[in-house]
Amino acid sequence: MDVRRFLDLYEAETQEHVRILQRSLLDLERDGSGGALDEAFRAAHTLKGVSASMGFAEATRLAHELEDQLDQLRHAPPAGAAPVPVDALLAAADALEREIAAATAGSQAMGDIVPAAVTPAPQGPGLEPGAVHSLWPAAAALPPGVAAAAVVRLHAEAPMKAVRALLVLRALAGRDDLLGSEPAAFPDDFDGLFRVHFGSTRDLASAEADIRGAGDVADVQFLVGRPAQPWGKAAPPPAPRMPAAATRAAAVLQAAAIPLAVPAPGVGMTGRKPSARQLRVDAERLDAVAGGIGELSILFNRVAADAVAQAAAGDTLDRMSFILGQLQQDVVDLRMVAVAEAFERLPRVVRDAARRLGKDVDLDVSGEDVRLDRMIIDELHDPLVHLLRNAVDHGIEPGDARLRAGKPARGRIQVHAERERTGVRITVSDDGGGVAADRVAARARAAGLLGAAAPAVLTDDDLFRLLSQPGLSTAADVGDVSGRGVGMDVVVSRLRALGGAIEMRTRPGTGTTFTLRLPVTLALAQALRVRVGGEDYAIPLTHVAEAVDLDATGGGAVTSGRLRLRGESIPLVSMRTMLQLPDGGGERAAIVARSGARCAALAVDEVVGREQILVKTFDAATGTLPLFSGATLLADGRPVLVLDPLSVL
Amino acid sequence: MPRTVLICDDALFMRSMLADILRSAGFEVVGEAQTGTEAVRQYRALHPDLVTMDIVMPDMGGIDAVREIIREYPQARILMCSAMGQQALVIEAIQAGARDFVVKPFQPSRVLEAVQRVLG
Repeated sequence: MDVRRFLDLYEAETQEHVRILQRSLLDLERDGSGGALDEAFRAAHTLKGVSASMGFAEATRLAHELEDQLDQLRHAPPAGAAPVPVDALLAAADALEREIAAATAGSQAMGDIVPAAVTPAPQGPGLEPGAVHSLWPAAAALPPGVAAAAVVRLHAEAPMKAVRALLVLRALAGRDDLLGSEPAAFPDDFDGLFRVHFGSTRDLASAEADIRGAGDVADVQFLVGRPAQPWGKAAPPPAPRMPAAATRAAAVLQAAAIPLAVPAPGVGMTGRKPSARQLRVDAERLDAVAGGIGELSILFNRVAADAVAQAAAGDTLDRMSFILGQLQQDVVDLRMVAVAEAFERLPRVVRDAARRLGKDVDLDVSGEDVRLDRMIIDELHDPLVHLLRNAVDHGIEPGDARLRAGKPARGRIQVHAERERTGVRITVSDDGGGVAADRVAARARAAGLLGAAAPAVLTDDDLFRLLSQPGLSTAADVGDVSGRGVGMDVVVSRLRALGGAIEMRTRPGTGTTFTLRLPVTLALAQALRVRVGGEDYAIPLTHVAEAVDLDATGGGAVTSGRLRLRGESIPLVSMRTMLQLPDGGGERAAIVARSGARCAALAVDEVVGREQILVKTFDAATGTLPLFSGATLLADGRPVLVLDPLSVL
Repeated sequence: MPRTVLICDDALFMRSMLADILRSAGFEVVGEAQTGTEAVRQYRALHPDLVTMDIVMPDMGGIDAVREIIREYPQARILMCSAMGQQALVIEAIQAGARDFVVKPFQPSRVLEAVQRVLG
């Protein structure tokens, strides 16, 4: 048993409930509905339960306090028009989140106690106010021979707690694995918190029922440990290695099944989602599986190529090919997460920024069901936060200015996700004042970013390129909300690293829209294989609009540096020149890359074909050509570089 | 058939109060005892489903009465009735075989919860 695994579970589970807590508190602030309050209460309750099971006393205490505050609100809402103290509740939720993070980080190295049965203890509405004040620290290992312990807390107002504790032990007397209690004897002024020790982990659910049946029991949590290694004895040989993912899945299932085995009656706990069908899987393990399948399919292609020559085993290979493709798709799907996860925190970001700036701003989020690669979702959070803060700070005007402009005093920001042909588009739009082009230009001139020869009227793309320069800020006063112009350059580079792109459209007085384009997945990409100067390269299709036969368009395109395509004149860049190859002038094809309104063509010698590639991130030293975004293996096993067509734009 | 109860307390007030609470829950009060000796004698005669036992009674105390009854009838279901501050005595009674306890002043709901546990 590996405590890391349970910590991971704890981390994932608490993150989820912290998110729910935050979201429901914001809902509460908006419409003050009882549903949001109940949801927040349940989230706090669950956080208390799982934290107590891990033995994280401080997190348990904070969750318990928050739970109490929410419970009081549930039963005695603030009189009249008095507002719900959402600020205080949010602050408490933040403190709890920090404590959970600290406790998790602090016990990464801990290896003794493996909390297993996370049994939420549903309570009636009358939760006693006394906090869990002295839970055993998890680091205190269970004594040798103790396989499981039940941490029992009696109701604060229960009379004669020493007697009650005795009755709890008596209720368990029928078990042959009952070892005793900690403390072993209960003093006259016993505070009602004790631990019951068991010699096995058998049937803990019935133990819980017996404990609760003894009366006055407020809470039962189980700790499951392994007997400490006796001193001086060599460690046992490691158990035969199970495939890591399988072990993990088993542990997850086990942990998920235990709460299900103990149905949670009681107030407000009926909404518990059954979790047995949903596995939490470590993204790294999934990557490993995806990588394995990817390389397998490449090997398969090689074998297939040999076998075709021998004209044998055709049907079998067809069948294998089909299954491999299917598997590959399944694994890619496994990595996909609804974008809702990246959006979950955004309302809080907007709320906090708006509050600090004294503005009223609504956030509308839509398209949360669109799914993206888990890693992209993770990487998306910071850019989105930056764009939103930016919109609140620089986009949305102060209320009086909005009223003068004939707009509602409340600003409005929309975040929308949508599936596109080759990827996902996310838009962040505000109904603010738009980018003040003249001020950006003035700043840029002052900073030496814009020469005198620059056109008088800057396009949106020009503006955005200037705004993405480090150090350029147009806000009259630089606040702490969106920083000092730092960030847009980071947003741009982050999106490019993901194989995505961003563009900006702004209309004075009406607002600004940022459009983010992202590939659906990082692991596998459709790519064109091209040849330049005798070498093969792969170009992901994400930004490829089309491939053009240069011979058909008539010669001279490469030398002129422009490609005429259906009446449009597109800049044409020779890959040979970019790669510093001897210029043979052998380019016969061009790849047209498009990102938003920007468009360019890359001249290559030849388009070899289209295939699915598995991109390995590229760990090139900084300073190498920014042309490549990674490397991949071709069907014949040769490694090739992956060209990033956006680098040309 | 209603379940039967024997109420043991030297104070009439307490006996009446307990009788009211238990009757309201459908019990039939088949006997009342004011001393430990009387409690043991009546148990032998009545075999009630439930006994409520005060701790401090003249002649023979409640704890000794519990010991006596349990010695003869190990399955007897006895609920201790204690004043506050008698925790050590209640522990003694529990060790002697009483099944649960309630603390005076009685709250009907707590009494009935305890009765439920004793009979359950």
